[in-house]
Amino acid sequence: MGREYVLNAIADIEELAKQKGLDCFPTIFEFVDRDLMLEACSYGLPARARHWSYGRSYQHQKLYGEMGFSKVYEIVFNNNPAYAFLMNTNTDIVNIMVGAHVLGHNHFFKNNVMFKNTDRNMIFRAAERARRVDKYIEDLGLDKVEHLMDVGFALHHHIDWHKGVFRKKYPKKSVIKNTYKPGEFDDLLKFGKSKERCVKYRTIGEKLPPHPEKDLLWFLTNYAPLEDWEKDILEIIREESYYFYPIAITKIINEGYSSFIHAELMNEYDKISEEEFLEFAKVHSGVVSPGQKFSINPYYLGFKIFTDIKEKWDKMHERGESNITGIQKVIQVANEEDDASFLRNYLTKELARKLGLFNYGYKHKRKPNDENKNIESKYGIIEFKDRDLNKIIENILRPTFNYGVPLIQIVEVDGDSLILRHTDTTDTLDVKYCTKTMEYIYELWGGNIELHTHDNELNEIVYYFDEGGFSIL
Amino acid sequence: MTDFADAWAFPRRGKRDSARHAERVKKAIRENLRDLVTDASIISSDGKKKIKIPMRYLDNYRFKHGDNKNTEGVGQGDSTHNPGDTIAHDGTGEQGGDNKSGDQEGEELYEEEVSMAEIIDMMLEDLGLPWLEKKDSAVEIETENIKFTDISEIGQLSNVDKKRTAYENMKRNAKTGTGNAKIKNIRPEDLRYKVWEIEKEYHSNAAVYFLMDRSGSMDDDKKYIAKSFFFWLAHFCRTKYNHVELIFIAHDTVAKIVPEKDFFKITNSGGTMCSSAYLLALEHIEQNHPPDMWNNYVFAFSDGDNFSSDNKKCISTVQDLLEVCAAVGYGEIDIDSFFGYSGSYHWSTLHDEFSKSIDHPRFLTASVQRKDDIYDCLKQFLGIETHE
Repeated sequence: MGREYVLNAIADIEELAKQKGLDCFPTIFEFVDRDLMLEACSYGLPARARHWSYGRSYQHQKLYGEMGFSKVYEIVFNNNPAYAFLMNTNTDIVNIMVGAHVLGHNHFFKNNVMFKNTDRNMIFRAAERARRVDKYIEDLGLDKVEHLMDVGFALHHHIDWHKGVFRKKYPKKSVIKNTYKPGEFDDLLKFGKSKERCVKYRTIGEKLPPHPEKDLLWFLTNYAPLEDWEKDILEIIREESYYFYPIAITKIINEGYSSFIHAELMNEYDKISEEEFLEFAKVHSGVVSPGQKFSINPYYLGFKIFTDIKEKWDKMHERGESNITGIQKVIQVANEEDDASFLRNYLTKELARKLGLFNYGYKHKRKPNDENKNIESKYGIIEFKDRDLNKIIENILRPTFNYGVPLIQIVEVDGDSLILRHTDTTDTLDVKYCTKTMEYIYELWGGNIELHTHDNELNEIVYYFDEGGFSIL
Repeated sequence: MTDFADAWAFPRRGKRDSARHAERVKKAIRENLRDLVTDASIISSDGKKKIKIPMRYLDNYRFKHGDNKNTEGVGQGDSTHNPGDTIAHDGTGEQGGDNKSGDQEGEELYEEEVSMAEIIDMMLEDLGLPWLEKKDSAVEIETENIKFTDISEIGQLSNVDKKRTAYENMKRNAKTGTGNAKIKNIRPEDLRYKVWEIEKEYHSNAAVYFLMDRSGSMDDDKKYIAKSFFFWLAHFCRTKYNHVELIFIAHDTVAKIVPEKDFFKITNSGGTMCSSAYLLALEHIEQNHPPDMWNNYVFAFSDGDNFSSDNKKCISTVQDLLEVCAAVGYGEIDIDSFFGYSGSYHWSTLHDEFSKSIDHPRFLTASVQRKDDIYDCLKQFLGIETHE
């Protein structure tokens, strides 16, 4: 019983996992108390630059944190080696189950395509950064550093995933000479001289930015007049944001897969007593319980889809229609998909029907930009809409689409002014928040800020922020 | 195997950062007192309730969509419904999915609750009844003051004495190494804390008269302003002083002493003769609160649309009141006139009359044009530095 027992059991289970085809980073398990666990959950990393918002989340976690819909905590960090926390107040069998669950996450981190370029040394890097930030706080004062972090966190979800964390600055203004061989029909098009047609001059770097820029923090750290410490802090926030992005867009598939894996492994592991197995079954059913009528547990949804995949591919394999087995297919899916493609490819009509999924809406819609957000205007009467699968998927994915933020791009630098454009038409912007965020950008940029957006009828409106403050044109 | 708790050598940050968050909540309240002072949900509360501070003062700001996007979600259940069927009401269906499906959305659930008493403390901590004098009397009013009286090596971080800490630090630095008395590497052993004692200060009796115009021209907006002011004044008097008598007088052409609970529910009608209220206050003072034993305060609110024939009488009564009072305050609510033609036909308001005829340091006037001015008005009346 106790630590040794748990760790030995997890080691056995890791062997089972390997046989099934899982491929994990080595995992270091730590037994921690509830407080440290809560801290890790609210900071997202064991040591991370301090900020009051983690404190708020810590307090919140203290009241409501949970794994799925049961009161079990687990946390594992995407790192090589992976670090996982087990709560020392959990029973042994729960910690063994958490260990099996962690192996699922670990495989997912190592093999899922979205995580390919993530920083596998983040735990240590973040700790080192936290020390650096502490030093800034010591030298410059908490208020100053904290304010800059507020600014950073206001913009940190506006990333450009495809351009990546590490980017070069745009090319400086220069004329590029392109020469090319005369084409077959060039002589038909030319009028007079022939050689000049083969040389083309192209000016680059004339416009800043050369193309609309999605990565707001990257642009500002590189092109706004900032001090070194400011650049450093914003860059820290930006890099951590890239680190967390794959986690945000794989919540359902990652939790679903890990729950599926822990169930498979625990079912096969035969060194536990009947009582322990019964306790495991209870806790497991809590973790993958459906949730409430209007809020679906991601652990449950993902688990159900993976169970469905395994059944189907096992049958197909039996019939000789597939050369891979169910579990092989499950691992393949876990390696290749994110939440969006996972739901689109594997949440079938039949399964959605079986799970009873439906779309709902509010009869009394909230007024856009309603100043007093009291309950009456926020929630009206909830009405049943339909069971349309595409809409179901869209509604499930919406909160994480574009990292949960509106699409905002920097389109032009015009003199001192920075011009931004809000490009999605799904909704208007919250003006109160917009004002404050534009003020933050104004502080960094040191010149006027202009934001083109639209009202409910999609008519263009322009927000300004200059030394006189916020105004609407 | 290493243990994180040791290996990372980081102090536990959760508690420290949540304390910092709590500090920010307080700061946000302070910065938004102007709004909160006129917040209807506070004015109508019973003073014991916890009030919720709107999130918009405390959030991590960012670009955020308006509200439309949350109007659809996914639920689960097998029962057959037709599109448009009502399946739940407000509270029963918590907003779908949001609180579980992502940290970003979850943030919106944070709300801060603060008790009424705490807010009043924050608002009114620097204020006091002006020109309060010690008078010979049987009943005394007392106030509690916190005074820092000593320095200690242990204490709460919020009470760090920066000067002494810096001094200790320099002393230690001077002792070690190069002998330079510089401020650097402040260590726990350098910290010095202030130690406080609660001092009771005794004052003489005080009586505060609340005079409100309830005439026909005091429409809802104006009454709201007057009532907000009196609400905070009443809370202020009760929070800050243990023994203080409050007298509520409402008037149109005649004045009447009313119980407190009726005072805040008063409706409007009739003409305006402000002198009636001042006279009633004067009589009450003369009968019950002789100035040699009492600190008397009269605070009146009106829109200044007084019968012009009555203005003279007002002036003389106020002058009489000043003889028996520590201070007389008059607030005039100067929002769009009830009659709507004040722009073209402007008659002299009571405020103008007062300022022409009364020049007394303890006669305080204020003009309130917007709800936002109430906080300034409170500061103007109660924030006077009069202590020797």
